[in-house]
Amino acid sequence: MTPLDSTAVRRDSWLPPVPLIGAKILELRKRTVLMAVTVAFTVALPVTFYGIRLIYHLSDPAHYGPAGDPGALATAGTLMSEFGFIVAIAFGATAATGDLSDGMFRHLVITGRSRIALYLSRIPAGLALLLSLAAVGYTLAALATAYLGSPHSPGVPSPSAGALAGAGLWLELYLVIGFTVGHGLGALMGQRTVPVILLVVLQIIITPALADHALPHLVNVERLFVGVAMDQLQPSLLAGPHIGPTGGKVALPPMPTWAMATVIAGWIIGWSAIGAWKTATRDA
Amino acid sequence: MKSASEQGAAPPELAGDTGRWAVEVHGLTKRFGARTAVDAVDLLVPRGVAFGYLGPNGAGKTTLIRSLLGLTRPDSGTISLLGVPVPEQRGRALARVGAIVDEPRFHGHLTGRENLKILAAARGGDADQQIGPALERTRLTGRADDKVSSYSMGMRQRLGLAACLLADPHLLILDEPMKGLDPAGMHETRELIRSLVDEGRTVVLSSHLLDEVERTCDQVAIVDRGKVIHQGSIGELMAGTEDRVEVECADPAAAARTLEGSGIASRVTITDTGLDIVLSAGPARQRAAEITRRLVEAGIAVHEVRPVHTSLEQWFLSVTSRLGEGS
Repeated sequence: MTPLDSTAVRRDSWLPPVPLIGAKILELRKRTVLMAVTVAFTVALPVTFYGIRLIYHLSDPAHYGPAGDPGALATAGTLMSEFGFIVAIAFGATAATGDLSDGMFRHLVITGRSRIALYLSRIPAGLALLLSLAAVGYTLAALATAYLGSPHSPGVPSPSAGALAGAGLWLELYLVIGFTVGHGLGALMGQRTVPVILLVVLQIIITPALADHALPHLVNVERLFVGVAMDQLQPSLLAGPHIGPTGGKVALPPMPTWAMATVIAGWIIGWSAIGAWKTATRDA
Repeated sequence: MKSASEQGAAPPELAGDTGRWAVEVHGLTKRFGARTAVDAVDLLVPRGVAFGYLGPNGAGKTTLIRSLLGLTRPDSGTISLLGVPVPEQRGRALARVGAIVDEPRFHGHLTGRENLKILAAARGGDADQQIGPALERTRLTGRADDKVSSYSMGMRQRLGLAACLLADPHLLILDEPMKGLDPAGMHETRELIRSLVDEGRTVVLSSHLLDEVERTCDQVAIVDRGKVIHQGSIGELMAGTEDRVEVECADPAAAARTLEGSGIASRVTITDTGLDIVLSAGPARQRAAEITRRLVEAGIAVHEVRPVHTSLEQWFLSVTSRLGEGS
């Protein structure tokens, strides 16, 4: 046996060690259904979308424009952000609750590792998988826009590399929010189904309704919804024909950039803190 | 069965640990609403022994174990593991503690080896290097790369033990380690526990299988309704019980007359095949030999003399039922 005090490992630190993050990536990567759904909505979705457009265009160029028309990127971006957000919520909630539901959380706590470190290890692990897949999907969409669009439609300007990168970053930020909110709410509730339902309702019913209608005297309350802030921040490349007064697609008066950043950071940090508190105090 | 410490051969590896007790608990109380699951428990577990924690269902065994490991917060009391206070220095205390609480469950979609990799990553240090030896010691090497969802209950128990061994533990806390095991599995687990104790490690186990505790453990604490009602070595525990012998003989009635008033037996009961005798105080073996001699001298054919040992289970049941009657 090794003497007790020979253990130099700092288990009380709330910072997760790299091997623990790697182990969590392994655990998530091996969830076949979760990964299949994630690949389907981040990579297969844009591939299918542009593939169908390409087939239509090649079969009847007179009626169907180029597959990579810049207008198509707005549609692809909407699909990727809406479905991607839902997948990100499910991914976050699964990352938060997998250890609990599988009975592994107790084993992990018994190792003496800080519960906060256990909680925080899931965030970079989940985001590493989710964002890399989303990056692959968006890169394919951007390549389609760059190489299957403008040369065939002389009247439409080709988006700059900076605009494409900005749209990609917005998309990735959207998924970061979905993941961290799903993760925090999942950790708080200890299960994944209800958080996913609640956040999907928020995303596909409540947020669009708020974004499309400025409620008298409640505009500032509406602005506290992260989806509203994200819609205001949306690059015009992805906003398409629904473009709003500030480049986003919402009907609300424009928000200052600092306000958007505060709302977005508040949702990410706030829900992460709530999940961390529950993880630290939960009976295991 | 004597442990290393009982033999006076404290392993040199223990040098550096502090304190006499592997587990030291004072006044530990845990309530769930109006119900008191653990009621001012004092518990001292010496190092280098197999220690049984016995009690009926609902007695508060698992709650105490969960409190020891920081899985739940006690309402009051102090705890130290391996001389290190918990929860103040929980990370340091648990560095050399392995534990199974309730039924061991793991990620079913991962293999046994992958589950251990995750736990080793959480432990840090050289835990990763212990995976192979731990799998080998728990005889799981052949199935280590199969998904845990295909494991039997016994294999999951063994994987739980393997997870404990990643810590190179000085203290193992095992909650119902025999649960779900077949007789061969129980035998293997018992052997493993004894081998761990022989290496100088301390094993605390709770079990409802009292016979298993009697076979495996050196010391025991009996808990009922959240309170520890007895603590000590099994020998001490059994010291106050009756010594009995069963005698098969040719003429039970004559044999009973011979022994009554002899001072050897405090009570003689005639049974279908002979006598059931409660021995009077004194060395049991000598008393039994004396009974045989007297019956033979009286011309009564003695076919068999069997000592009857009061088991821990009988003792336990008598104590807990007595408590039940008193309530």
